[in-house]
This record gives sequence, C-alpha cells and structure tokens, in this order.
Amino acid sequence: MDQAHIRNFSIIAHIDHGKSTLADRLIEATGALTSREMAPQVLDSMDLERERGITIKAQAVRLFFESQGERYELNLIDTPGHVDFTYEVSRALQACEGALLVVDAAQGVEAQTLANLYMALENDLAIVPVINKIDLPSADPDRVMEELIEIGLDGTEAVLTSAKQGIGIDAVLGEIVAKVPSPQGDSLKPLRALIFDSRFDSYKGVLVYIRVIDGALKVGDRVRFMATHGEFEVTEMGVFGPNPLAVEKLDTGEVGFFAAQIKTVQDTRVGDTVTLAEAPAATPLPGYRPAQSMVYSGLYPVDSDDYGRLREALEKLRLNDAALTFEPETSAALGFGFRAGFLGLLHMEVVQERLEREYGLTLITTAPNVVYHVTLLDGEEIRVDNPALLPAAGDIAAIEEPVVEAQIITPSEYIGAVMELAQERRGIYTNLDYLDSARARLVYRLPLGEIMFDFFDQLKSRTRGYASLDYQVEGRQASDLVRMDIMLNGEVVDALSTIVHRDRAYHKGRALVERLHQLIPRQLFEVPIQAALGSRVIARETVKAMRKDVLAKCYGGDITRKRKLLEKQKEGKRRMKSVGSVEIPQEAFMAILRVDDQ
Amino acid sequence: MSGQRWGLYVHVPFCRTRCTYCDFNIAIGMTEADHVRYTHALIAELFGKSLPSGPLASIFFGGGTPSLVASELLVGVIDAIRERRGLDETVEITIETNPGTVDEAKLAHWRQAGVNRLSIGAQAMQDDHLRRLNRAHDVQDIVDTVRSARMAGFSNISLDAIYGLPWQTEREWRETVRRLLDFQPEHLSLYQLMIEEGTPMAKRLARGAVRLPDDDRVADMADWAEQALSAAGLMPYEISNYARTGRESVHNQLYWQLEPYLALGAGAHAYLPGRRWWNVRNVRRYMERVEAGSDPVDGEEQLSQAEEMREFLWLGLRQRCGVDVSRFRERFGKSPEAAFAEVLRSLRQSGLLWFDDHSLRLTPRGRDLASVVARALVDAPLRHQVGLSS
Repeated sequence: MDQAHIRNFSIIAHIDHGKSTLADRLIEATGALTSREMAPQVLDSMDLERERGITIKAQAVRLFFESQGERYELNLIDTPGHVDFTYEVSRALQACEGALLVVDAAQGVEAQTLANLYMALENDLAIVPVINKIDLPSADPDRVMEELIEIGLDGTEAVLTSAKQGIGIDAVLGEIVAKVPSPQGDSLKPLRALIFDSRFDSYKGVLVYIRVIDGALKVGDRVRFMATHGEFEVTEMGVFGPNPLAVEKLDTGEVGFFAAQIKTVQDTRVGDTVTLAEAPAATPLPGYRPAQSMVYSGLYPVDSDDYGRLREALEKLRLNDAALTFEPETSAALGFGFRAGFLGLLHMEVVQERLEREYGLTLITTAPNVVYHVTLLDGEEIRVDNPALLPAAGDIAAIEEPVVEAQIITPSEYIGAVMELAQERRGIYTNLDYLDSARARLVYRLPLGEIMFDFFDQLKSRTRGYASLDYQVEGRQASDLVRMDIMLNGEVVDALSTIVHRDRAYHKGRALVERLHQLIPRQLFEVPIQAALGSRVIARETVKAMRKDVLAKCYGGDITRKRKLLEKQKEGKRRMKSVGSVEIPQEAFMAILRVDDQ
Repeated sequence: MSGQRWGLYVHVPFCRTRCTYCDFNIAIGMTEADHVRYTHALIAELFGKSLPSGPLASIFFGGGTPSLVASELLVGVIDAIRERRGLDETVEITIETNPGTVDEAKLAHWRQAGVNRLSIGAQAMQDDHLRRLNRAHDVQDIVDTVRSARMAGFSNISLDAIYGLPWQTEREWRETVRRLLDFQPEHLSLYQLMIEEGTPMAKRLARGAVRLPDDDRVADMADWAEQALSAAGLMPYEISNYARTGRESVHNQLYWQLEPYLALGAGAHAYLPGRRWWNVRNVRRYMERVEAGSDPVDGEEQLSQAEEMREFLWLGLRQRCGVDVSRFRERFGKSPEAAFAEVLRSLRQSGLLWFDDHSLRLTPRGRDLASVVARALVDAPLRHQVGLSS
C-alpha cells in the first residue's frame, strides 16, 4: 500500500471507557472478522486480561476501509491500559500518527485520559476525540464536550458513539482517514523500524511487532537490534487481520510482525530500533529506555520442593516478559526463593497469578517494596531491594526513595478528602486546577512506596469511587526511613520486615500487628506478635491458644465425608508456612498492604 | 469374623421442613403414598441382601424424620427384619423422633414391635431459636413428646441439642441444658453447630445476615455443659455424647469402633471390613431401582489395611475409653505404636494423646482439639518394618 493510503492509530482511554469494545466494532465494521467469529474484545488475547478487563500486551490489527472510492489500510495499535506500562504505551503511540481519545459520556475526562492525551501530544499525534457510551441513561455528551475543550481539544468535533450498540462506528473510521496524517517516513533511507511489542511463540520464537518508519523489511533480510546489538535472519513476516496472515514485505509506514528464530524477548526490547545488518541506519529512533523494575517482592514456594519448578516457571515467563527480573534469595523464615522485580503492582499481580494458575505453584509472596538508595557512613552507595537487607541504622548516612508525580482527578467536593489522604502519605502539594465547575485535578509529589500501600483503594473509598489516579516516576528523595521488624513468638520473621517513615512507624506497627492478629489463626499455644524498630518493641498483640477444634458429629454415613473434610483441612494447613513453630497463612505476608490507614 | 456383631441402619428421609443447618439426605413434601412405597422398598432391599452371620446388635432408624411415617409402616420394616433374622430384647432398636410427630398410640405400637430407645431431636428450649432454625416444632412439643414417651414405657431416651447457634447466649444454652436434664434422660447428645456448605444457614452467614457467638463463648458453653451433665450423672463417653452408665448407644459405638453395619434406604452407608458403600441418594431413584429388582448401590470405597488402622484410631479416640490396644492388635496384627510410632509420639509430645501398652486416649486438651489429632492421623505414614521384629 502506498504511504498516502496508510493510517496508523491507537485508541487511548481511561480504563472501562470502552476502548476494547470500540476496537471490536472497528474490526467488525471493516469486515476483518464476521461478528460470529468475534469473541468479545478480540484484542485482549490473554485470558487473564479478559478476566480483569485490562490489556497487558499490545497487539496490532490491519483493517481495510473504503472512503470516497479510495481504499485505506488502517493499522490499529492497541496499548496497555495501566499505569505500570506507561513506557510501553508511549512506544506504541510513537508507532502511530494519530489516536482516538475515547471518553465515557457519563464519566467524562479521567486521570488516565489526561495522562494518555499528554503522552500522545508529546508524540505529535493527531487526536480524534470520541465520546462513547452515549446510549447510557446517565450520558451527558454536552458536558463531556466542554471538558474536552477545557483540556485543549476541539470538543465540538468529537464523534458520538455507542460501541456497545454499534452507533457512530463508520463516522469514527471516516475521521481516522480525514484527520490522522499518513506516515511521513522515507522509503529510500536505510531501514529503521520501531519495536512496540514482542511475544514468545513456542514454534516460531519471538514475534517482534514493528512499525516501519524508514525503508522496508522483507523475509530473508538480516536484521540488527540497535540497542541490544543482536543480529537475526528474518524467517517469516506477517500482519494481523486480526487472524495472522503471512506477508513477504513490510513497507515504509506499515505495521506488522516478524519472526527470526529469536529465543527470548530479552533480545527484543520495546522501543529498540530494528535496522538491516548490511545497510544499517546511522542513528536509532529516539526514546529507547531499558525496562526498569520499580517494585520488588519475594516469591517463595510454600512447599520447598517446588523451588526448581518455580525457577523453571519464572524462566518461562521471562521468555515473554522482558520487564520481569529475578534473582535467587534466601529467607530465614521462608527458605529458598526469588526476589523478583516488576514494572509496578499490577505487573506483579499478573506474574504472581500466572505462576499460580498456569504453573500450579502455591506461593508465598512478600509485600512489595520499592528500591532504596542507601549511602553508608563510609561513603559507599548501595541499592536495597529487600527491606530485610537494609543495613543497621548506625551504618547509614542517608536513604533515598523513589517519588512519583501523581495526578488525581476528583469531583470538587472530595478535594479535601484527597488532600488529606495525600498528606497522610507524605505527599507534597504541587498544583490544583479545575476541569470544569464540578471536577478538579490535583497534582502531588508522593513517595512511590506510599502509593503501594493501598493508596488506590483508599482514594476510591474516600471519593465514593469517583477519583482517578495516574502517576509517573520522577526521581528520588532523601527521607527519614527505618526498618520495622515483626517478631512472632519472639523471633524476627525477615519476610515481614518493611521500611517505613520514622514518623509513621508507630502507627504502621500498631496497624500491622493488629492485622496480623486477625490473620494468624489460633495455634496450639499462645503466639505474641510484636513490631520492633531495632531492639525497641513498638506494638504487641497476642494470638490466644486455640480452645476447641472438634467435629461434632461423626456417624456411619459420615465417616467417608468427615475423613475427606479432615484431609481438606489438612491441605489448607499445608498452604500455610511454618515459621519456627507458628503456622502463618499466605495472606499474612501481604498484610502490610491492607493495613487500614484511617 | 463370622461371629462378629453388627448393626443395621435404616434411613427414612422424610421431613416436614428443612432445618436451616441441615445438609442430610432428606425429602420434603412427600405424600403418605410415598411413605408406603418407600417402606416397601426398604423391605424389598432387605430381602435382596445377604446378612452377616454374627449377632445383630442394633437397629437404628435415622433420618430425616423416621417418626413422621405411620407406625404400621415402620413396624412393618421391623417385622420384616424379625422375619429374616429373629429379634430379641437384647437388640437395641432406636427411632429418631422429632417432637410433635408422635402420639401415644404410635409410641405404644413401636414399643410392642420391640423399639426400646428413642432419640428425640429437641435442639433448643427456646421457641425463637426453634423458629429461626426452621424446626417444625416448639418447646411445648418437646415436653409433650418426652412425657408421652415415658408414659408409653420408654426407659431409654436420648435428647439432642445444639450449641453455638446464631445469636445464642450462654444463658440460653444453660437454660436448654438444665431443662433437658429436668427430663432425666438416659442419654444426651450435645453438638456444636457445624456450618455445612450449601445450607440456608451457610448462605445467611455468608450474607452477614446472622452472627455466631465467638469461639471462646462456644468453648465456654461446651465446658459448662460437660460439668453440668457430669454432676447430673450423665458421663461423657464420646466427644458429643453423654450417658448414664450402661446407656451408651450401642449403635453409635459400632461406628466409632469400626464394627460392621449394613444399611437400608436412600443414600444409606454400609460398612464391612475393607469396604464402605452407599445407596443412590435420590429417594425416587432409590425406590425405582429397588422396585426394578436392581441393586441400589451407587458408590463404594475400598479401604486398605493402613486406612482401616488410621480410621480405627481417629474414630476410636473420639470415645472417652479410647482405643484398646489388644483389639487393635487382634485386628491388624500389630500395635498402634508399631504402626504409627512417629505420629503418636509427636501427639504425645504435644500433650494431646496419652498411651501405654493397653490403650490410647486423648488427654483433656486432646479432647478439645480432637480434630488436630484426627488430622494428624488421617494420613499418618505407616511405618514399614522390613526386617524388624515388632
């Protein structure tokens, strides 16, 4: 297809504003699939994504659309919908010339809408505003148009749609052709193709999703990855329609994938530039950045015999997840396991869930933590990704923690509540402005570590679910941080150690000890739970010894059933970890996350 | 084994209402014609069976509500057993009886047929609790039923009650226990409420519509009751069962001592050494199968010797008298300690189990935590003694 007839675009939206449904309708309307073939929301191809209603891995679909007698190739590049994957989103947007900005006709502009919009504008994309869900009884498209004007878009030109009912779909396609510019690359220059995603296929090796910026790529070419330096011979190329379709060549401006017997996605970093080994480009495309773990957590098999299986499972997941890192570690309480690094909390949850679900592992996961940069008194600087390994307070000159800039959009009536929450979490106020008379945008600088402690849940509960949140990591700051240990039956459980701000240690210690008191079941003997800073105990609770545990009835018809019940109870106990002589349920290791901060 | 005593369980699934905590195999809304058809099926099933040669020690009509059906129907079943087997007054014949389902004529008829024990489901002595549990009777019915039973000449009466009920206070529980003791029963079964999956009670609990007393209160209820009953001469002989000396339930001891029992009726379970099996649960399908002359058995499990040894222990330990080492050795050819040394010693170490060369018993702490012991035993590894003398 000649460049003038190509349109590359993404759909950006706040979660639940109807992005996936709109994508489905576009695919259906262009005849790429009949409606019978469509499983709902075809772009979300992992089960887990569909269940959680989120998109984790970007994918691209090629659509054909006729407008005024001309045939256009529209490439829809899907973007992940979560704050953990901001960098992936930015690279997917870099592969486009335009974006549909979808806003829910009832909810209006939200934090992610804005964050995505700014990112699209940074990439110089043409924006096509779409007001979706106009069929809802609570839809108020006029108000949403005003909000769009408030954030600098031409709200009056927004396309009104109901993706669910198929209203306005052709109009959206028409606007894409009319408003999104065609690709401007140079077909005569050496190949430069942007990697915006990759995934591992057990037959073909890694499938690399690219947008050709300059030049062209064909089967048999030897390619070079400019950042990771790998070289491979292209064995197969294709596009998604949305079913895969082999092609011989991808031209300037086109979007597709190639396979080249690549063994792991570690070689194919999102944002890297693909060029030809024989005729390489002089400079890579701008904006590449290696994936960086922001959140760490310990992963331990409940059954220590599963250590080898856990390692294998992590290795398999890493084939398809360039952002996942892990190293073996040992815990006095939990034995042999791994310290794994993730892009963010969602990424962490997804990995943990896949390990349990797809690999049948039963895991203890420790509460996540951020990376601390510690300067020792002798001037040495170290990086601490496990609270238990924080050096003794007497050896530390300074501790720095990562901070984020958080944007929170909330109805004006909850501004006070949001500010209170942000301040409790050591937030520093940066800005407040109004989207319209009813809604405001607050900007805070917050420690990332504080956001992980149920910040989002608290934000939702204090604003009756109306507030939305987005954040970007913005460097580090020095803070007065200390390690808080938890002792069970007098013994420190290293996997329960956390790093907290000194001023909040007493409060957190109290709350954590109370939470553990609820979670740890009664044992045969009494179990004291203590929180301590160094040798100073700051909070204590006691789990009383169990009084009764009996099966009231056991008669003839019951014996088989009661035996099975006992076996099941025993299985439940096996899912607990024995630390010293105390049986601790898995959730207890995550208790710090659910500590109620009210 | 030919001389071993055995029991017969007869399941009568009919009930007027379903109690909120009940997950038994019961049927509501059946007609008298169904009762006739069902009891005929019981008799047909009996005549289709081969019976053990040892002495029949007990017959237990359980439910459901066996007392709901017309007396001539139950008596018909008893007569059929007598015809097959012969019965004398040494056989314990129990009928589970719900208050409000019997009159003097029915009770008298049972007496004549040889029934010598009643197990009456009182459950609580407060009308509001009975109503909340969806019991089909009130406190007055309990009083009337016990009085009628005594008048009819029943001298072996057991009463059931439940503690740990939603909203139940300790004061109410004590009142229930005291009033049951006023009846001077020969036997009491006091059950801690168990929440069974899928029951209306479990659903209400999940919804937050009911609240249970906390664990410590429930434990206090149990402890208080044990003292009150002992003081009244009713001695605990099993986790939930109390009796005057000599009035322990013969039938239930068969279960706890892993002795044989056969079973008649829908969903009823039977056991002979090495095998446990059960009939089809559905009442209509049970009747159809029997009427068609086919076997109503729906499932079975084979028990290895190791499994039987484990059951012998965890069931036997429910009893105050514990497990008799010589009986264990007679049956399995080795002592419990030779079979499960490691687990038994660790239980002793934890203060839950006591044993010597003659018997194994739970300590008082072990009785409170009988399930901890049972869980340790259900899959206790068997020590294989290759080349070692026991």
